[in-house]
Amino acid sequence: MKLRPFLILAMVLVAGLGLLTLQTRGHGARATDAVAFITTPVQVAFASVPRAALGLWSAYLDWKGVRVENRRLREENQRLRVDALWVTDAIDENRRLRGLLALRNRLPVATLASEVIARDWGGWVRSLTVNRGRGDDVKRLTAVISTEGLVGRIVDVRPGASIVQVLTDPTSTVGAHALRTRTTGIVEGEPRGTIRFKYMARDGAGLAVDDVIVTSGLGGVFPRGIPIGRVRAIDDRGSALFHYALLAPAVDFARVDEVLLVSGEAMPDLTTAFLVKTAD
Amino acid sequence: MRALLALTVLGGGMAQATVAPALRIGDVLPDLPLIMVVLLALRRGPEFGCVAGFVAGLLQDAAGGGLIGVQALTKALAGFAIGALGGELRVTQPLVQVPGLALLTIVEGLLRFGLLKMFHYDVPFGELMLYVVIPQALYNGFLGAALVLALAWAETFRRRAS
Repeated sequence: MKLRPFLILAMVLVAGLGLLTLQTRGHGARATDAVAFITTPVQVAFASVPRAALGLWSAYLDWKGVRVENRRLREENQRLRVDALWVTDAIDENRRLRGLLALRNRLPVATLASEVIARDWGGWVRSLTVNRGRGDDVKRLTAVISTEGLVGRIVDVRPGASIVQVLTDPTSTVGAHALRTRTTGIVEGEPRGTIRFKYMARDGAGLAVDDVIVTSGLGGVFPRGIPIGRVRAIDDRGSALFHYALLAPAVDFARVDEVLLVSGEAMPDLTTAFLVKTAD
Repeated sequence: MRALLALTVLGGGMAQATVAPALRIGDVLPDLPLIMVVLLALRRGPEFGCVAGFVAGLLQDAAGGGLIGVQALTKALAGFAIGALGGELRVTQPLVQVPGLALLTIVEGLLRFGLLKMFHYDVPFGELMLYVVIPQALYNGFLGAALVLALAWAETFRRRAS
């Protein structure tokens, strides 16, 4: 073997032993300082580089963790939202059904509870399909009501379902009167989806905005006293024979889900039943 | 050679400062600078092993806060010895690597103990060997063997690629 490695070894040994000797003879501070002078910058570099690398790594891990957690929380949030919607829907349905049951108990006529299973909202025809039909002994022209008031009448009875002509249907007409003034007239559906109260000018004096219009019971189709709507505006046509009042329907036809079919033969006045409901 | 030396020392020091704590099993830490010095001394010879061992040991001493120069000397001697005997050892065999590195760690521990005794630093020999040196020796043996295998695999891969 060459001499050079041994020379290096000797130098290293001398340096090492020298350092140790200096330290044990009380010159430790100097020796340490001398070594620290060289090693400290390297140590600083050691400390900073891995710290930065570890910082990056831990930042990455944090980011990854946050991302996973974020995804989990989003999914949980979505699930909870769906759950909340279900709960809200159930509460809403419960409230509606309770209202319908209460009305049914108050009404002095026989009724058949029914659920809306379809809607035809095209404009030409405005109708609902309910899940009661021939099998339930449903008759044509049966009045259909909800907790808020009149929905319409049955115009077609099928084996398992019936079609309800809604008040806003352009061909719908219902005999009605104003609750406060007793002004009689006809509520007509309009193609634009609204309803209006047509009355004779000579009878209409005193009719005002917010007056409640209810069924008159004339004609024998609808029992008397079922709310139809409130006067929103009055179309005074001067000397014309008929005047019109634009109504805000008592029932939100687009949202009604459960209805009652008035199945009894008797046609008593239902004003009180609905007024009691209003008082609730 | 200088660049490789610097890389060895820095790499070993950095690995000891960062990776070794993560590789801790119980209270036993591997001596990564020693493993790196041995691995490179086997390839580069006694000069390289001696200087790399000295600098790496010096850094470890400075970081540790004890007597500066103890590990510098022991690692320099270990690097020199392995570099000098490298040609005689069949280091490609794990059956040689594991006990070889373990034995080297024990020898290095004994040297360190001797130096500390020489410079009047009393340490309990039995406990030191039982709880520090021998567990570390075993750890170094297996880790060093794994590193040798990884390097051999990397070299084969590089040759195939080129």
